[in-house]
Amino acid sequence: MSETQNLTVVQAVRDGLYTEMREDDDVLVLGQDVGKNGGVFRATEGLFDEFGGDRVVDTPLAESGIVGAAVGMAAMGLKPVPEIQFSGFMYPGFDQIVSHMARFRTRSRGRFNLPMTLRAPYGGGIRAPEHHSESKEAFYAHEAGLKVVIPSTPYDAKGLLAASIRDPDPVIFLEPKLIYRAFRGEVPEEPYTVPIGEAVTRREGGDVAVFTYGAMTRPTLEAAETLAEEGIDCEVVDLRTVSPLDREAIVEAFESTGRAVVVHEAPKTGGLAGEITAIIQEEALLYQEAPVKRVTGFDVPYPLYALEDYYLPSATRIEEGIREAVEF
Amino acid sequence: MPVKEFKLPDVGEGVAEGELVTWLVSPGDRVAEDQPVAEVETDKALVEVPSRYDGVVEELFVEEGDIVPVGDVIISFRVGEDGEGDEADDSGAAHEESETESGDAEPAADDEAVESEPAEPEAPSGRTFAPPSARRLARELGVDIAAVDGSGPGGRIGEADVRAHAEDDSGGTGSGAGGADEAPTPTPTDVGSGGRKSAVKKRGDDGSTGSSATTAAAAGAPEPAGRETTLATPATRKVARELGVDVDDVPTDETRDGEAFVTGETVRAYAEALESGATDSSSEPEAADASASADAAGADTGAAPEPSAPGATDETVPYRGVRRTIGKQMERSVYTAPHVSHHDTAEVDALVEAREELKPRAEEQGVSLTYMPFVMKAIVAGLKAYPYLNSELREDDEEIVLKGDYNLGIAVATDAGLMVPVVEDVDEKGLFELAAEVRDLASRARERKLKPAEMKGGTFSITNFGAIGGEYATPIINYPETAILGLGAIEERPVVRDGEVVAAPTLPLSLSIDHRVIDGAVAAEFANTVMEHLEHPLLLLTQ
Amino acid sequence: MVVGDIATGTEVLVIGAGPGGYVAAIRAAQEGLDTTLVEKDAYGGACLNRGCIPSKALITGSGLAHEAGNAESMGIHADPAVDMGKMVEWKDGVVDRLTGGVEKLCKANGVNLVPGTASFVDERTARVAHGGQGQGSESIEFEHAIVATGSRPIQIPGFDFAEDHVWSSADALDADSVPDRLGIVGGGYIGMELATTYAKLGADVTVVEMLDDILDPYEDDVKRIVRKRAEELGVEFHFGEGASEWSEGADGGYLLHTETEEGEESTYGVDKVLVAVGRQPVTDGLDLENAGIETDDRGFIETDDRTRTAVEHVHAVGDVAGDPMLAHVASKEGIVAAEVIAGEPAALDQQAIPAAVFTDPEIGTVGLTEAEAEDAGFDPVVGEMPFNASGRAMTTGHTEGFVRLVADDETGFVLGAQIVGPEASELIAEAALAIEMGATLEDVAATVHTHPTLAEAVMEAAENARGQAIHTLNR
Repeated sequence: MSETQNLTVVQAVRDGLYTEMREDDDVLVLGQDVGKNGGVFRATEGLFDEFGGDRVVDTPLAESGIVGAAVGMAAMGLKPVPEIQFSGFMYPGFDQIVSHMARFRTRSRGRFNLPMTLRAPYGGGIRAPEHHSESKEAFYAHEAGLKVVIPSTPYDAKGLLAASIRDPDPVIFLEPKLIYRAFRGEVPEEPYTVPIGEAVTRREGGDVAVFTYGAMTRPTLEAAETLAEEGIDCEVVDLRTVSPLDREAIVEAFESTGRAVVVHEAPKTGGLAGEITAIIQEEALLYQEAPVKRVTGFDVPYPLYALEDYYLPSATRIEEGIREAVEF
Repeated sequence: MPVKEFKLPDVGEGVAEGELVTWLVSPGDRVAEDQPVAEVETDKALVEVPSRYDGVVEELFVEEGDIVPVGDVIISFRVGEDGEGDEADDSGAAHEESETESGDAEPAADDEAVESEPAEPEAPSGRTFAPPSARRLARELGVDIAAVDGSGPGGRIGEADVRAHAEDDSGGTGSGAGGADEAPTPTPTDVGSGGRKSAVKKRGDDGSTGSSATTAAAAGAPEPAGRETTLATPATRKVARELGVDVDDVPTDETRDGEAFVTGETVRAYAEALESGATDSSSEPEAADASASADAAGADTGAAPEPSAPGATDETVPYRGVRRTIGKQMERSVYTAPHVSHHDTAEVDALVEAREELKPRAEEQGVSLTYMPFVMKAIVAGLKAYPYLNSELREDDEEIVLKGDYNLGIAVATDAGLMVPVVEDVDEKGLFELAAEVRDLASRARERKLKPAEMKGGTFSITNFGAIGGEYATPIINYPETAILGLGAIEERPVVRDGEVVAAPTLPLSLSIDHRVIDGAVAAEFANTVMEHLEHPLLLLTQ
Repeated sequence: MVVGDIATGTEVLVIGAGPGGYVAAIRAAQEGLDTTLVEKDAYGGACLNRGCIPSKALITGSGLAHEAGNAESMGIHADPAVDMGKMVEWKDGVVDRLTGGVEKLCKANGVNLVPGTASFVDERTARVAHGGQGQGSESIEFEHAIVATGSRPIQIPGFDFAEDHVWSSADALDADSVPDRLGIVGGGYIGMELATTYAKLGADVTVVEMLDDILDPYEDDVKRIVRKRAEELGVEFHFGEGASEWSEGADGGYLLHTETEEGEESTYGVDKVLVAVGRQPVTDGLDLENAGIETDDRGFIETDDRTRTAVEHVHAVGDVAGDPMLAHVASKEGIVAAEVIAGEPAALDQQAIPAAVFTDPEIGTVGLTEAEAEDAGFDPVVGEMPFNASGRAMTTGHTEGFVRLVADDETGFVLGAQIVGPEASELIAEAALAIEMGATLEDVAATVHTHPTLAEAVMEAAENARGQAIHTLNR
């Protein structure tokens, strides 16, 4: 009989790390402040005491080094879970990520694979200064050889993290920090996984398919409830993995409605909404009743927090976007 | 217990009054819903008026022999003797009065609740003599504790009293505990539109996606496909939008990906067809108007029983599209025109011979000669002599239009139902021409390729059920015509000649006429004329 | 130290962990709601820490000492010495046990405890300041909130509680020694309970009251018994006088100056002045206006019978929501608030609220007095049983006082009860149940009560009202 706990997203991440580290001795965690301090968001709280300094490693402030060291560990058979404290600081490690983390398998023609999972809190809405609110998952989605996973619930956080850690290839695991503590959900105590590359329908509806992920799932569901009162029935699909996208789920949801809206906080140009739109027009043109509406962040550097609420797609802005798609 | 008044209902279209011939009940009688309470004679018929309530007759407002205008109150009932105020559902006509009456019911029920307080001293300063568990139960059941009859000593209210009160209150007082405050509603957890109708214009509605094309099916416009899913390029959808057409309605045979597919051309063609159909349907009513014909049901008002739920072995077929349109047309025709059928039999020896003779010649011209052209010509002869069977009654204008053309509709049975394409100017066309045209129309009808215009403009119709079999029938006139001739099968049957019974080919005729315009005598004379021309085909040359 | 502000989401935010707040929080958690309880001081609020509990502890202590020293008639000779410091220490131990108990209960029920001071940012967000040591603050986003911030003693002009010798009720319950002379401003229930306590502990107590009798809301015959007994204990009463100021006395003590309405002045020598003129609701620092909530002219938050404020998803319970300012009312409101939020059909529908005054003798009342019943339109019938006719009362040596029941003559429904005498605070519960259940005099009279108990007097009073009393003369 399995117990379930009522955890927040960040607690579920922590529980996921704890569970996987307990199940597999090769799993280890490294990053800034992850050890004795328990992580600046408490994501690694208690792990140092439980597993010791060999498996919970405090690193210097050196993102390139953190990623590079993890690449080396993974190549040699360990399952490192490096943490970059904010996704906005991944750039100093970008070269390691795209030149090495993503290419080791192909470079070695399969002799080496890197079972590593790079974790980083990402996304805005938390009133932080520059660099702390980035949403640049598109950079990594564009690099073949990397998977990019973004959970939106505590259950998915633990399950997807476990799946990422067990995956033989590198995964970028972005945690939407806006909802780190926003709500609780049931999370089983036992180990379990949620499949990577599989979207999930959060709300069923027949009028328009709304695709989203991460922290935007909640305002999207809110918008869907408001619109239900007006007779607009939305199907809300949480993609959960943005690379590889669940093409089948996207096309199926689109075909059953003929209309689509994509919601993400990342900027519009070059963002994943464009990719989803292309998939739809390639595979389901004949079903299309309206152009795909993109409700996204704007093509500007992430603003300082006084303007943050205007930048992020709010439930209202999402509603308006859905109405546009429906009224076309 | 409230008293409900009952007004004389509309018993037929255009009927403004009726004579109350007989009362079937007296004040003080207990009546059940649907039980006839009076006999009323309108212009054409004696009609029974049923009660709409269960209750007791309170008062009769009209005497036997009085002429009562429709809408006047004729009787009142005291309802709710058993603590229930029932109103029968008018499943046919939606009378306005039923709305106001149901509006009355609610405050009455509320009053009842308040009046049934215990005779005990009114609890001053809000005192309720009920234990906390009973108070909570009252809130849970949405009952006003102050209105509950307490059965305990001194009028104390127990849980049982609260429950009994909640059950009695089936009229749905809906007054929550404490008056102004409503009981708190639990947080809704279910997601989805919960059965709410989608506001999004989309495929997936039932066949009638709001396109008025459904109304005109049997009378002329192309019939919409009414699909759930249709594939089309965005460009095609744009065209459809601009033309005001729903892609789901565009008939098509093409498919892609297993679903129906339409092109811009198909959409345009359909839109054009709709237009020409729509312009001819001048007096075409909306499908919704069928309720008016239901009004004419008279005695049927309020008496329609509840349909029983389909059984386990029943098959349910959607009633829409062409079928429904035909249904509405039939309904309209029968409930508008008083039908009388006149039956006779023509001895068609000579006709059979004539056809035999002409058949080979027709075949030379690539025409298959049936009896139909002969019949059509004979009918024209009859119509010329008796123009009232070639007419249209326009009641609003209070005039009968005797038509100058002889456009005969030929009923064709198709998979989708009965269709009646029209052959125009039958008087001007020769036999072979008629034969060819009839054949063409019939085959195109079966292929559903008739143009809307081809089903309009008829002045008289023919239905040849004899082609399948049968002798006589009581055909329904093709509204707004005033007569229709049904043809039985031409067969050898016994006839009496010179006092002897012999076998001879006979053609049974069933003529239905609109008795508002045509009397039986005229119908008989017309039939005689037609028969004469069938029995003596040479007479057709004189037309 | 973490950059940015990540809000914590919760379904129910309870502000204040007194008898209103912690009860609401536990009930909400039991209903399955994600609940967060914010408290800036100690769990249990004023009741546990500075009011109900400590006062009853000292009343018991002082009562014991006094009983023991005055039982010669029973053949007990004793002259107890009271170590006030120790008594207070013992009292603190009781308080700590209870406070710890509240914390454990909250945790055991899954309530998230957040120490700090809460204030509203908007109607769905609150900020909790974690207090000193640079602890910073956090944001909490809530779906529902319950304000249970309680009340504090009213401070009158000229008598600043900050002064050592000016006591609030909290100070009086924390004294390290018994003052020789104690002046008490205010003859309400707090003033009277403490007057009795300190008189029994040996202080010279002087009570100054602006009205012309003590315990204003109670009936004359009730007040008289308590006042007479207090006087027997040595308490001096001065009615019609209001405290105007204090000054230092020549002897190292202080002088309490009073004034009548007409301007007559008096002076009393005291060592401590306890100001107990009432309590006022605590809402400062809450920033209620950010949530769209206003307070009335007395500072209370207005609520309906579901404890909702003007903002539907924000509730208020306890002293901050108005009279009666009683801990058991706060708890009842807390339960109703939690249940309403959970979607249950709960409401404040109690027919009567019992109250108790722990003087000597005790007072317990519930429901309507005879006069109130008449005003309300009933035709009341009254039954009484004096304790001097009670066998058990005689065996305790305390026979002052009575039980009185008020009922509706026609139906017999019990409408109210007033009890003065030993254990009145306990005995009143039976009458409260009778009223809530809609019991009649017959029901109470017909219920067998144990003999010999004080509770029998309730049954006897009911019989008396029906003209069937055995042990007293029927009215």
